[in-house]
Amino acid sequence: MLYLQLLIDGVVSGCAIGIVSISFSYFYATTGIFHVAHAGIYTLSGYLAWWMVGLGTPFAAALALAILAAVVVGYLTQRLLYRPLEESGATPLVLMIASIGLLTVLQNVVAILFSPNIVQFDLPWRLSHTAIGPIALSLPQAILGVLSLLLFAGLVLFSHHTAAGKRIRAVASNRELAEITRLDPKRVFAQVLAISSGIVAVPGVLVGVDQALQPYTSLLVLLTAVVAMIAGGIGSLTGAFGMSIVLAVIQSLSVAVMPGRWSVAAVFGTFILFILLRPEGLIRSRFSRAI
Amino acid sequence: MLKSAGRALAALLVSCSPALAQPKEILLGALLPLTGPAASIGIEEQQGVQFAIDQANAAGGIAGRPVRVRFDDSQGKPDQAVLAFNRMIDLDNVPVLITAFSSVSLAIAPLATRREVLVVNPAAQTDKLETASPFLINTIPMVRHEASVLARFAIDKIGKRTAIIYENAAAGIDGRNDFRKYFEQVGGTVIAEEPVEFGQTNYRSTLLKIANAKPDFVYIAITQSHETMADQVGQIANFPVSIGNTFSRPFFGHASTNGWYQTAIQSGYPDAGTLAAFKKQFGTADMGFFAREYFNATNIVLEAAKSVLASGGTLSGPSLKAAVLSIKTFDSPIASITFETNTALRPVEILQYRGAERALVETARPAQ
Repeated sequence: MLYLQLLIDGVVSGCAIGIVSISFSYFYATTGIFHVAHAGIYTLSGYLAWWMVGLGTPFAAALALAILAAVVVGYLTQRLLYRPLEESGATPLVLMIASIGLLTVLQNVVAILFSPNIVQFDLPWRLSHTAIGPIALSLPQAILGVLSLLLFAGLVLFSHHTAAGKRIRAVASNRELAEITRLDPKRVFAQVLAISSGIVAVPGVLVGVDQALQPYTSLLVLLTAVVAMIAGGIGSLTGAFGMSIVLAVIQSLSVAVMPGRWSVAAVFGTFILFILLRPEGLIRSRFSRAI
Repeated sequence: MLKSAGRALAALLVSCSPALAQPKEILLGALLPLTGPAASIGIEEQQGVQFAIDQANAAGGIAGRPVRVRFDDSQGKPDQAVLAFNRMIDLDNVPVLITAFSSVSLAIAPLATRREVLVVNPAAQTDKLETASPFLINTIPMVRHEASVLARFAIDKIGKRTAIIYENAAAGIDGRNDFRKYFEQVGGTVIAEEPVEFGQTNYRSTLLKIANAKPDFVYIAITQSHETMADQVGQIANFPVSIGNTFSRPFFGHASTNGWYQTAIQSGYPDAGTLAAFKKQFGTADMGFFAREYFNATNIVLEAAKSVLASGGTLSGPSLKAAVLSIKTFDSPIASITFETNTALRPVEILQYRGAERALVETARPAQ
């Protein structure tokens, strides 16, 4: 019973991390920019929704507005930060440092504008839970699991079966060729970051509803998501999402057999072993990039 | 002629020297986390200090002298606290400093010893504060004092087998060590323990593991995220009754924590008039725990200062400390505090969450 419950909790956590992972992966595989500030957008969207709910906004509207705000912040980040830096010849390392700077700014803006404290949504329904046999699942966990699966499926379908998705994949595949064929990679990059940011807002809000919001801990979430992306195979959305679930389940189940303080170490230890055995990741993608 | 005038002036200066050495106003320092994650607590503490100063000045000051406080921001960080401490001592020469947070108080304790400045800690409870400096006065009992009362109560009234969830930081580790020590001393057994990280918000796996060990009760020592843990406890069927110390107060008010116990340092309210004046001055609905404790601690400092001045002494760290230990008992509606050592002895209450109230189950005075 204990193991089953830990497994289910791990799967749900993995779904949330999986969305962070695929949204990060989508942008990274397309642009090659190590967008650490993704963690800041995750945090910002959660606090924005919390603030709007506090003002009396219905939750669905608050979630939609938080997604919209994340889309705008993501778009502006590409237009006002990454693009000028790239045009001035900044190296990937400089872009990453700039991204870390933006993350710090976003976290502090959240702490100053909203609250530096751990906060919870004032939504009575978030305490509802249901038992399926010996398994207990909170309503936010159930919503998070279902929405994460839908988002994953949606992004895969978008990427493979829409004109916009194919354009993005073309740019990711060969930027120079895309420029020649007037696909306008700069515009595509901004669109991809807007899409990625909108997607990451969903777990940013829902994990906050399920647990609580904290301005400074999203970097660990992103780190786990990046590990899943690498282990899953860079550029493979399925690999990133699947490995997120695997790693989260390992983290959850490890608590049953060792002190909880070692659970993060168990995840990263597994990653090191895995990547030693299969350096290209779980699913090899033709859009692979070196880190 | 000039020579004799000079001699007269020198004689006058010598005869007046005590008066010149004694400043006209009494200056206190307060080193609080006024910005950063702990700012909400720091601002409440600041209000308590300021209110005590304002009340003293409204009553004519201390021995006719006005009182002033200089606030500085520690941000809850030891490095910032050391800088602020040096600023206060070097620039303002304050003889006494009111502080907050274990890490901050521990960082400035060696400096207090070297500079002979009295440091008053009204809220931090890490056991190390008891012996950190001869110039550190704690107006609140330490974690171990609460743990000794709680362990005795638990073995008598709840059960002999416990599991511990503790925060993997100073306060949580102290809480675990102290409770384990006292609980085992009275015949209890710790069958499981699990650390959680500071600021963590997902406790599900930890809670499941602890519940699966089937202890009679769980001792929880965390300082943040109580509400989140309480929510997640609610998802686990038949989670054992849990107990905690003063830090556990935010567990109160959740359906999942009904029946839980906590210790609390007995901390009352001032009289109705004073309470109303506080609320009016700061526009608050209540005078919170930290405001009350800092108000009371500031009054203890002022009473010590009054005693020093009444005996013709000068205000300094050693004289103020001697006065506190000499007065020994400070009674107020907020607390009855006795200083046998530099750490206050105060009654500890056992409270149980019963619906909308925290019911007083018993009161005990911990041993020194």
